Amino acid sequence: MALINPQAKKAVPEMTTKPAKKRNILQSLKRDYQLWIMILPAIVIIIIFNYIPMYGVQLAFREYDFTKGITGGEWVGLHYFKEFINSYMFADLMKNTVVISLATIILGFPAPIILALIINQVIWKRWKKAIQTTVYLPHFISLVVMVGLLNVLLSPNSGVVGHIMHSFGWDINLLASEKAFVPVYVLSDIWQHAGWNSIIYLAALASVDPQLYDSAKIDGASRWQTIRYVDLPAIVPTMIILFILSMGNILNTGFEKIFLMQNPLNLPVSEVIATYVYKIGIISNQFSYSAAIGLFNTMINFVFLIAMNYIAKRFSNISLW
Amino acid sequence: MKRLGYGFLAASLAALVLAGCSDKEEKAAVTKDGKPQLTALITKHPLTQDVNKIEWLKEIEDRLGIDIKWQEVSADWDQKKGALLAGGDVPDLIIGPNAITDADYVQFPGLFEDLSDDVDSSLPNVQAMFDAKPETKAIATQLDGQIYGLPKYQRFWPGTATRQFINQEWLDNLGLKMPTNWDELYTVLKAFKDEDANGNGDKNDEIPMDFSPTGTIGFGFFQPTVLLGSFGITLTDASGSGYYVEDGQVKNFLTDERYKELVEFLHKCYAEGLINKEVFTQDYTKYQSLARGEKDTAKVGYTFGWEVTDRFGNELAPQYASMAPLQVTAGDDVQVSWDYDYNGLNYGVNMITLSAQSQNKEAALKFINELYDPKVSMQVLFGSIGTNIEENADGSFKVLPPKDENMDPGTWKWTTTWADNGPMYVSDDLKLELGTDMQSVGKQTEPLQEALDAIDVENDVLPSMFIKYSKEDNSKLSLNNTNLMNLALAKYSQWITKGGVDKEWDAYLENAEKTGLPENIKIMQKYYDDYKKNQ
Amino acid sequence: MKIFSTKGKTKSDIVFDTIILILCLFIFLLVAYPLYFVIIASVSDSTLVSTGQVTLYPKGFSLFGYKEIFNDSRIWVGYKNTIIYTVLGTFVNLLLTLPAAYVLSRQDFKARRFLMFIFVVTMFFNGGLIPTYLLMKELSLINNMWVFILPFSVNVFNLIITRTFFESSLPKELFEAAQMDGCTHFQFFGKIALPLSKAVISVVGLYYLVGHWNDFFTGLIYIRDYSLQPLQIVLRDILLSNQVFAEGAGAGGAAGGYAQKYADQIKYGVIIVSTLPILIIYPFIQKYFEKGVMIGSVKG
Repeated sequence: MALINPQAKKAVPEMTTKPAKKRNILQSLKRDYQLWIMILPAIVIIIIFNYIPMYGVQLAFREYDFTKGITGGEWVGLHYFKEFINSYMFADLMKNTVVISLATIILGFPAPIILALIINQVIWKRWKKAIQTTVYLPHFISLVVMVGLLNVLLSPNSGVVGHIMHSFGWDINLLASEKAFVPVYVLSDIWQHAGWNSIIYLAALASVDPQLYDSAKIDGASRWQTIRYVDLPAIVPTMIILFILSMGNILNTGFEKIFLMQNPLNLPVSEVIATYVYKIGIISNQFSYSAAIGLFNTMINFVFLIAMNYIAKRFSNISLW
Repeated sequence: MKRLGYGFLAASLAALVLAGCSDKEEKAAVTKDGKPQLTALITKHPLTQDVNKIEWLKEIEDRLGIDIKWQEVSADWDQKKGALLAGGDVPDLIIGPNAITDADYVQFPGLFEDLSDDVDSSLPNVQAMFDAKPETKAIATQLDGQIYGLPKYQRFWPGTATRQFINQEWLDNLGLKMPTNWDELYTVLKAFKDEDANGNGDKNDEIPMDFSPTGTIGFGFFQPTVLLGSFGITLTDASGSGYYVEDGQVKNFLTDERYKELVEFLHKCYAEGLINKEVFTQDYTKYQSLARGEKDTAKVGYTFGWEVTDRFGNELAPQYASMAPLQVTAGDDVQVSWDYDYNGLNYGVNMITLSAQSQNKEAALKFINELYDPKVSMQVLFGSIGTNIEENADGSFKVLPPKDENMDPGTWKWTTTWADNGPMYVSDDLKLELGTDMQSVGKQTEPLQEALDAIDVENDVLPSMFIKYSKEDNSKLSLNNTNLMNLALAKYSQWITKGGVDKEWDAYLENAEKTGLPENIKIMQKYYDDYKKNQ
Repeated sequence: MKIFSTKGKTKSDIVFDTIILILCLFIFLLVAYPLYFVIIASVSDSTLVSTGQVTLYPKGFSLFGYKEIFNDSRIWVGYKNTIIYTVLGTFVNLLLTLPAAYVLSRQDFKARRFLMFIFVVTMFFNGGLIPTYLLMKELSLINNMWVFILPFSVNVFNLIITRTFFESSLPKELFEAAQMDGCTHFQFFGKIALPLSKAVISVVGLYYLVGHWNDFFTGLIYIRDYSLQPLQIVLRDILLSNQVFAEGAGAGGAAGGYAQKYADQIKYGVIIVSTLPILIIYPFIQKYFEKGVMIGSVKG
């Protein structure tokens, strides 16, 4: 929550003397020992559960050999990475994955924000509560049911949406069309998660000092201007952080929903890295190959994240680290 | 409050540390009364009841004086398996259809007991099965001669899983004869569409043809690929990735001219509205619901399925008749064929495995042997004697109708016992009268029987079940097949719905080669030839 | 009852409010109809549902789905377990995350950037299922209820959110003012920071809570005993036992059609059963998002 108190922007003189460039670690520990204690449990948990198993990452560079354990297999270096990049499906997989991810981010990112801004402007309290409660519920529908719902509602012969489209004269089977796959996927994603994702923005908006609204009104601001000058700045830090994080998901499409929505007709656009890895895995245990692909996927995500973080740091003061 | 919080945290971290340091207990190998205690995991059908309640199973445990602790898995076995095996936490026995695969034996050597030396000493019933049915031994033997998993043989299943049905009542209503070739089929389907075949006054509510959802991994049962039999091509186990054998040569129909002809025919039908518009987008539940029509009005004219009541429901089943394979055109002199599934339906691979680290190997072997006793196997398949099976005075048996009247025999079987998921040897000398569902399937397979009998099993069937590939070759095959099916299924559905197979055929053939198809054929041919040599 | 008063509003304001109202109505219907559909589908004949004949009200009314779900005795065990894991789990989550986020929000904490990086890395790189499984085995967490509570108890995404909120709502000046009165970090955190942060605590608490509630992967891989399984696993099993008709080939027959008629009810019913408790809790948490929490904390 950004407390935009214009008066706080005034520079407050440093209370302590300017610290030397390279502080002695020991002195830092001593000064901040309380902070270290507070953060220690979290660090311990991360080390135990996330860093200790990380040796498994090297599976991508080794020939998996059970008798020798995960770390004992023959080192094959970039063999599997090369195999993946040179494989018949590589170009299509990358294209499909990027298209779907990017569309999800570009459309899915603003949706919760707009939703939060709209709900925040509703005056009638009961109505506001009703909307807030309803709009997050789809988040809890499991993917199996979600896709089932899509199949029932969008079916040209029998679905409600199908009937509506038919009455407009649009006779395409949304489920069968290659072109419709990405829009249906992304829009249903937004439908399902925008409400839940807007909660955090709503919380940010709820903590804006009411004084700011009052002073805006006194200054004669219209509702639209209020949104621009009071609401939006309040959620900008959150927006930036969430955007950086979503960039770190650039190659993550999630597996289950796409797999459930796939059919032979949309296959040219719906086959992504995640479904491919699943398919090569179910017939034989391609441990090393799928580990390599997974790592490849992750590396690209991570590079994007770092890039975004750097950009955000340069242009605003807000970044992950 | 805060202090309480930190105290709690410290305590739980301490507990974690202590838990980690505790001594590992020895797995209890013996129960309180000194009986050997086995651990077993079974991948069971979701319908199957708690296995501890199954009578014949309890009887075996009593007879042998052992106790078994069961872990029942009815979902997500693939995800659980990886962790289980890699963690080395293997139960004494693992039961289920190909629960542990040939690829697993290669990936995890040393986890499973080689049973080849135990068969003649401790597993006489299994030996009897190997003697009477040598192919079962072939299924079970790995490339290096070892036997890690035992197979099953259930004897009574038909030669094919897919039967084709047509609505006889509609034919009668419109004065049409049963079609015998593709042209006649087309005419009949057209009549179904244009006229009021189901007699309810609405000319437009009939769906002439429907087939099961194709999916994105490979072809399956109940799909029009069986029509390739009209060219004399014999599919095996639905030929999911297109492979079949013709005159001893391994081929793939996806690049065959005859497949092209089939696709053209299907497109001709689709363009005239003779195939369900949602055929590629509906799921299996919808596919089945549609065929059940509305009360007593049928909706679907021609389709594929396992058996009439399963496909159409009780109400509409009497309207449908099973059909013989079609010729392509009248007067064709090609011997028509069909999808040969006898192996897949009657044999099973790796139904039970024994852990190499088991502390009760003797007891486990005795248990395994009991399962393969034909009288016990019969109960594994159909259920316990008394509730599911009746023993006659002359030593023959009869499968009883379900005690729960709401259930059909198939559901009853799956609910009360392991059914097809268990290891078993249902010997050919067993005198057993089958239940109504099996008899029904048998009857409906009759129109196809002539074609099935005509199949040259030696030279026209791909015996996938009996061929074992090496790890590298298996890898290559599956990677190439994934590429191939990605291309093939997309084109298959596109050509049927939008046409264009003629125009795109050559480019498609080129792409098919790039997926690695020629390499796969070479590999499979080599293994096939080796298999034939060793027959 | 007036929907909104026109007192003291310019014309553009009224237009604005009307637009907002219409948008909200549209959004509400868009979201509410499919949800309503799920409810009526859970009590209708499934063959009618899948052929699209159920649109505004239930048809072929039957409680088969709910009966199947609640007849299974495992469901009560599932509910009990899930409640325990969720309450304990969320408590541990907050216990670890809140102080850590506070620390990372202090601008003059030297190791801040480094530690944040360490945390973020774990969002991307992990060793995979098998090393994690082996670790759990070493820690005796296999088939142990603590596997739902202790591992991965710090979710880095939630950590980042909390840190962001702390950064903007607890400026350095606030702490320095307190420090002048002899306040330590501990005291500042407990007495000032936490009470001011009810909104973020409730949001992050909600996220963790729902995370635990919906978690089914943990139970799937690490737990053998049914008595320890949470609700999601039980529901999934019930769901699968009734989805058998997705396979075919000898799996069902004549009256297999009977169960098929109502099979999908379970699919929809399961959502209702697992979501209802969250629906009940949410309003209690929501009131912390209300305005006015931040009044007058920093003046000049």
